[in-house]
Amino acid sequence: MTRTWLRWMPAAVVPAVIAAGVLSGSLPASAGDPLPEKTPRQVLLMVAQHGEKSLSGTLEQTSQMGLPELPKAGAGSPETAWLELLTGPHTARVYLDGPEKARVQIMDRMAERNAVRNGDELWFYNSKDNTAAHAQLPADADGRHEARPGTATTPEELADKLLAKLDASTEVTVGTDVQVAGRSAYNLLLTPTSDATLVDSVAIAVDGETGLPLGVEVKARGQAEPAFSVAYTSLTLEAPDAAIFNFTPPPGATVEEIPVPDHKAAAALPPSDAAAAKAGKRPTVTGTGWASVLEFPAGAVALPGKAQGGAPDPATANPLRPGTSDPEGTRTVAAALLEQAAVAVPGGRLVSTSLVNVLILNDGRVLAGSVPLERLQAAATPR
Amino acid sequence: MLCALAAIPILIAVAVRLSSSVPPGRGPAFLDRITQNGLFVGVTAMLVSVPLFLPLTVGVVAGDTVAGEAGLGTLRYLLVAPAGRVRLLLVKYAGAVAFAVAAPLVVALVGAGIGAALFPVGPVTLLSGDSIGAAEALQRLLLIAAYLAVSLMGLSAIGLFMSTLTDVPVGAMASTVVLSVVSQVLDALPQLEWLHPWLFSHYWLDFADLLRQPIAWESFLTNALLQGGYVAVFGALAYGRFVTKDVLS
Amino acid sequence: MTAAVPATELSIETTGLSKRFGHQLAVDGVDLAVPKGSVFGFLGPNGSGKTTTIRLMLGLAVPTGGSVRLLGEDMPRQLHGVLPRVGALVEGPAFYPFLSGAANLHRFDAADPHVPAATRKARVRSALERVGLTHAADKKVRAYSLGMKQRLGIANALLAPRDLLILDEPTNGLDPQGTREVRSLVRSLAADGATVFVSSHLLAEVEQICTHAAIMSAGRLVAQGTLEELRQGGQARIRVVTPDAGTAAEVLSRLGLSAATSPGGAAPGGGGVLYAPLPGAAGNGEAAPEAVVAALVAAGVRVRGFAIEQVSLEDRFVALTGEGFDVVQ
Repeated sequence: MTRTWLRWMPAAVVPAVIAAGVLSGSLPASAGDPLPEKTPRQVLLMVAQHGEKSLSGTLEQTSQMGLPELPKAGAGSPETAWLELLTGPHTARVYLDGPEKARVQIMDRMAERNAVRNGDELWFYNSKDNTAAHAQLPADADGRHEARPGTATTPEELADKLLAKLDASTEVTVGTDVQVAGRSAYNLLLTPTSDATLVDSVAIAVDGETGLPLGVEVKARGQAEPAFSVAYTSLTLEAPDAAIFNFTPPPGATVEEIPVPDHKAAAALPPSDAAAAKAGKRPTVTGTGWASVLEFPAGAVALPGKAQGGAPDPATANPLRPGTSDPEGTRTVAAALLEQAAVAVPGGRLVSTSLVNVLILNDGRVLAGSVPLERLQAAATPR
Repeated sequence: MLCALAAIPILIAVAVRLSSSVPPGRGPAFLDRITQNGLFVGVTAMLVSVPLFLPLTVGVVAGDTVAGEAGLGTLRYLLVAPAGRVRLLLVKYAGAVAFAVAAPLVVALVGAGIGAALFPVGPVTLLSGDSIGAAEALQRLLLIAAYLAVSLMGLSAIGLFMSTLTDVPVGAMASTVVLSVVSQVLDALPQLEWLHPWLFSHYWLDFADLLRQPIAWESFLTNALLQGGYVAVFGALAYGRFVTKDVLS
Repeated sequence: MTAAVPATELSIETTGLSKRFGHQLAVDGVDLAVPKGSVFGFLGPNGSGKTTTIRLMLGLAVPTGGSVRLLGEDMPRQLHGVLPRVGALVEGPAFYPFLSGAANLHRFDAADPHVPAATRKARVRSALERVGLTHAADKKVRAYSLGMKQRLGIANALLAPRDLLILDEPTNGLDPQGTREVRSLVRSLAADGATVFVSSHLLAEVEQICTHAAIMSAGRLVAQGTLEELRQGGQARIRVVTPDAGTAAEVLSRLGLSAATSPGGAAPGGGGVLYAPLPGAAGNGEAAPEAVVAALVAAGVRVRGFAIEQVSLEDRFVALTGEGFDVVQ
């Protein structure tokens, strides 16, 4: 009988070994040397001064916003593309070599979306329908690589944006060190002082060695899981192979030329909102800091039929599919999603996520903000 | 069984050849590329066979390993030969693995062959939009076949274990195939997201990462690690079961 | 019952061998001793545990209790050293139906890592020749008759020179001619010096070819020894046919013989049949058989028939197993 038990030993030991391996692997890799203590200001300075412009890495983005998950693979329309990025997890590879060369690959299942910048050349490619778009940047477009349509927001960009907004509304601290992509990083914590916002905290992981932001995590009030997080899972601080930035559209692909608008207008607003801006329908802002509420006047957001709306963050709108040919048809998915996500509230309908509430009033106005519904309603009532 | 698998790319190629045109973005991925490049027949055929045909055939082969011998009664003669239980188990698993390697390879090569016969062959467009030559494309095709072979290692080990549990080969085959289907269903339920990275079928369709430029090796490695874990666990279970089993068939 | 034989002279030795399936004890404390060089008949009705015992001997199943020694080595510990010297046919032949007879033998032979691959072809050919299957060597086993499969199974056991052959029901499914061939095959194997262990439910078979035998009943070993010893284990008896059964029984008991009326009832021509142990055997009184007849006649018993009956192995078997017995042939 003991022999019998002996022979079942491997069957008991192997899972135990694997479990032990997994557990020890998931523990923080026993942070060898703790990073020297730094004040938030010093960490911010590191970020501001970091000079890492060449890297290749993989980004993981997850969202727990409370939105229904959309089919992946950049299906549907450009209008849903940004929504799709807000739901469900994504993986993207980022290659940077100085300010002039960049490539972002959003790895969808059985498909991929690419944005490539090589000097003045700007290419978008979606393998799903084999379409490419090309833009020739004006020569004076200098180092604004943020202008690269930012579906794949690198931690760098996101952190820069957040840091610029820092003011009295936010408490900034440095938490315990974290491990991101196998690197020790400072954990810069931004906690809104106002109770009026849905945002609980924003954590930015800052590489302890270089000051490169490695990840951003946004937590919503009353939610344990981060509502939104994007972070490197692997990172190499070396210039990637130059061939990566050479892009020629594949044979058989539909290629579209994007006329590059006037530089100033393009910098102010993405093309899709330019029309609204011209018509004087720009959003008004009430409240300050975290509790700001954006109000779009009626008609500013095109609402085909009754079910319409959504106020795409200009930074993430319309990522890789510029120049849509069929706005009515492609909007239907967004409309369907809105139908599904919106609930009726007094005076209109509400799309509620853990981070942002969007109130679509019956009179056509749209209010959005990281605030509870009551504040949106309060902002809606004319003073 | 390999012939049945070989029929899949042939069917796809002939169907695409006979139909007038495939609108882009419809049907399985890559289907619309076939008319432009015959090599995509291999990729499409592998994509189509991953959810059912490959697990089905591998499940049949792996489920038959020990239970088939027990069902025929030849198991007792192999053991008194004496083949040695551990040796027999290893040889049987090697057989199942050989099939798991051959199956996607047959689909890929027959697909590439029939595709080359019926459609033009030229530079292949990768998911990233870059193009590579036909020779390198064939390499990628073989790499995908290797990826799928690795993907099927875990299922083969499960089949081997199932096969040691019963003397009825059909039972072992069916339960193995059913398990592969269950795993894929669980993988599709967003409520069980925590479980997904542990399902042996989770990375099956990520072979597309080999069609990116540069190749994303992460999924290959993760998948290999996961499959290795399954092989270790179910191999140990099969060992425990088979070495202590009373052969009464 | 068993003559004391040194352990090294035993080809098979089991001690308290037991196997339990759930609540059922299939083999219960079996102590077998198969002398080297013997042709050992392993008798028992269907379901008496013969095949399970053979499985335990060959290491196919793990005993619940007790131990097995094959050719002087512990089983299943020394399985890899012992089994190459043992040829076996267990519970009927089993083959891959889609392969030819020769290919099947090749496959089984390849399963044994101890035999040289170089001589495989020749060994397969000679094994097939020995069982008379040369003409069907390249036929698919699917097309074999039951008898041919049985022969092929025996050929499989003969693929290499063996010190011990364990043949479970080797004549099953064979025609009388095939049965005779198997018998002569077994004799020739024994003549080569191998120990042959033959299980059977056919008594005639065992009586014809075996030197030793053991009898199983309901999982227990009820007797074993040489055929002579087994026959002697049962006593000869006297059979008296008389209409005066009552008086006769009195006379017999006076002589110290406990008589019993036959369960068969009346003998032809009226009158009862009485059986009694043979006088003269130990503890059964001193009277000689003829003295018994004289005493009966003197007492006025009308003796119509008197005989001394030798107990056949069959009677012995029935007496031991308490079961009916298949006595074909």
